Amino acid sequence: MTGGSLGRVQPTDLVGTRFGGVSPATVRLRHLLGRDWATAWLFLAPCLLVLVGLIGYPFFSAILLSFQAKLVGSPAVWVGLGNYQDLFTGRDLSGQFWQSVRVTLLFTLSALVCKFVLGLAMALLLNENFRGRSVLRALFFLPWAVPSLIVGLTWKWMYDGSAEGLLNLLALRLGLTHDLIQWLANYDLALWAVVVAVVWASTPFWAMMFLAGLQAIPGELYEAAEIDGADVFGRFLHITLPGLGNIILITAMLSSIWTATSINFVYVLTNGGPAGATMTFPMLAYQVGVAGAQRLGMGATISLVFTPVFMVLIYFLTKRMLASDR
Amino acid sequence: MTRSRGRLLRTLVRTAGLLLFGIWTVVPLYWIIVTAIKPNLLIYREASLFPSQITGDHFAFVLTQTPFLHYIQNSLVVTLVTTTLAMAIGTLAAYAIVRLAFTGRPWVARAVVVTYLVPGSLLFIPMFQVIYSLGLIDNIVGLMVTYLTFTVPFATWMMIGYFRNVPSELEDAALIDGCSRVQALARIMVPIALPALAVVALFAFTLSWNEFLYALVFIGSDSQKTLTVGLIGLVRGDTFPWGPMMAASLMGTIPPALVYVISQRWVVSGLAAGSVKG
Repeated sequence: MTGGSLGRVQPTDLVGTRFGGVSPATVRLRHLLGRDWATAWLFLAPCLLVLVGLIGYPFFSAILLSFQAKLVGSPAVWVGLGNYQDLFTGRDLSGQFWQSVRVTLLFTLSALVCKFVLGLAMALLLNENFRGRSVLRALFFLPWAVPSLIVGLTWKWMYDGSAEGLLNLLALRLGLTHDLIQWLANYDLALWAVVVAVVWASTPFWAMMFLAGLQAIPGELYEAAEIDGADVFGRFLHITLPGLGNIILITAMLSSIWTATSINFVYVLTNGGPAGATMTFPMLAYQVGVAGAQRLGMGATISLVFTPVFMVLIYFLTKRMLASDR
Repeated sequence: MTRSRGRLLRTLVRTAGLLLFGIWTVVPLYWIIVTAIKPNLLIYREASLFPSQITGDHFAFVLTQTPFLHYIQNSLVVTLVTTTLAMAIGTLAAYAIVRLAFTGRPWVARAVVVTYLVPGSLLFIPMFQVIYSLGLIDNIVGLMVTYLTFTVPFATWMMIGYFRNVPSELEDAALIDGCSRVQALARIMVPIALPALAVVALFAFTLSWNEFLYALVFIGSDSQKTLTVGLIGLVRGDTFPWGPMMAASLMGTIPPALVYVISQRWVVSGLAAGSVKG
C-alpha cells in the first residue's frame, strides 16, 4: 500500500473550507475511520457486496453444509463430523475419495511439468529474432482464446475410439498400430489423454508469462556472460532461469490452483471414468453433490477437504502479488 | 568458422522447434474446421484428412434445427451485463482503494486479491444454494450474478494497478476547484483509464463467454442455456453428431478468438501482469 500516512488525518484537512464547522464528535469519527471514510465505503459497497455476499458467505455456508446431510429441496439434518468420517473411512465413498486425491495430484503435477517445459520452450523460441515472429506468436497463443469446453470437445473427437478419430486414423495410416486404441476408455491411458488436452489449452498462458519475463532480463547480462566465455547452456542456467525465478513461482502457483480445480476437461472427455481413472476431486464433488444423488452436504465436504491446500497457495500468492504491485 | 556454424545450428534448432509448435497448435484447430465442413460420408465411412468435398450442411443444421442462435444470444446478454457491471463496480472500488484515505484499506485490498484467486469450482455447491434461495435457478439472471464473483475481483485488481500509476496531481487540482470525488472520478480518472477499462472488458468478456461449470449446475431448460452448456445439449444420448458439434464449436469460438486477435498486444501485457486466469 502506498503511504500509510494517507490513512491519518492531516491537520490541514480539518481547517479545509469544505469541512468547516464540524463538531468534535465528527472529528473524532474521522480520526478513527480515516479522512474519506464515508465516500470510500460508499464506493466500495457494491464490490464488498459481491465479495462478502457471493464469495465469503458461500464459503462459510459450505463449512456449515459439510456438517449436514442435505439433499436438494429437502430439509437438512445435522450430522456433525459424519460426512468427514464417511469420506475418509466410510464403505461407499472413501475408496473413490482416496483415488480422487491420487488422481488430482498426478493430474496437476504432470500437467504442471509439461506446461512448464513446453511454455518455457515456446517463450524462448518466440524471444528469438526472426521474420514472421508476431504472426507465429499470435498463432501459438490462439488456443488460449478457445473456450476450454470446446477444447475438450475437440480432443474428445480426436481421441475417438473408432477408426474415424484423428489419432486412430493417423496411427493406422502410419502403420503404428493394427488395433484401434481406446484413448479415453483405457484405464492406463485416459488420465494422460486428459493431461495432453489441458496442456494444449494452457501452455500459451505459461509462454506469455515467460515471454514477458524474458523481455525484462537486461541484454547486457548475456553480453557479459558471452565475453566471459559462457556457452548457451551456461547462460541459460545462470542468467535465464534465475531471471525468471519469480515468474516461474507465481505462474506455477496460479496454474496449480486453476488446473486442480478445473472440471471442464474431465467432464467432457471422460466424465471421471473409466473406473475413476480421471476422477479429480471437483469432478467427484460434482457427481456426489449435484449430478446423481444430489448430496449437497457431502459434495461441499469433498471441496472443503481440499481447500486448505489452496489456502496456502493463495496466501503466498497474495503476498507476492501485493508486494510486486507496491 | 565455428561462429557461423553455431549460428546455423541455432537457426536449425529454432526452425525445428517452431515447426513442432506450429503443428501442435494447428492440428486440433484444423480438425475443428475440417470436420465442420466435411459431409458426413467423409467424417465417418470414408474418414479423410483432406476432404475432397465440402458442405455447409452442418452449419445450416445447427442454425435452423437447434436453438444454437438462442444460446448465443443468452451468452451475449449474460456476458455484456456481467462485464458492464464488473467494470463499474471495479472502477469505483479501485478508486477508493487507491485514492481515498480510510481505516482498513490494506485489508480491503487483500480481500480483493484473495477473492480473485479463490477458484469457482470450490464454491459451486454453496453457490447453488445461494442462487436457489434467490429463486434464480434456471434463469440467466442467476448466471449474471454468479459471474460477478470472478469478474469483479479481477476488474478491481486490474484497475488498482492502473490507478496507482496515475499521478494524483491531476485530480488534486480539480478537487481544489470544488469538484466532488464522483466528478473527479468521472471527468478525470475514467477518461485516463480507458485503455485499462478496455483490457478489463476483454478479459471479463472472455471469462464469462467461456464459463461452463456454473451454467451446467444452475441451468436446465433450453431457453436459458448459454453457448457452453448448449453445446453439450447437442449430444443425443451417447451419440455425438460431430459435424454439427464442430460447426457449432467453430461458431462459438469466433467471438473470443476475434476479440483476442484484435487486442492481442494488450492481452499479452495484461496476462503478463500476472493477473488473469489462464
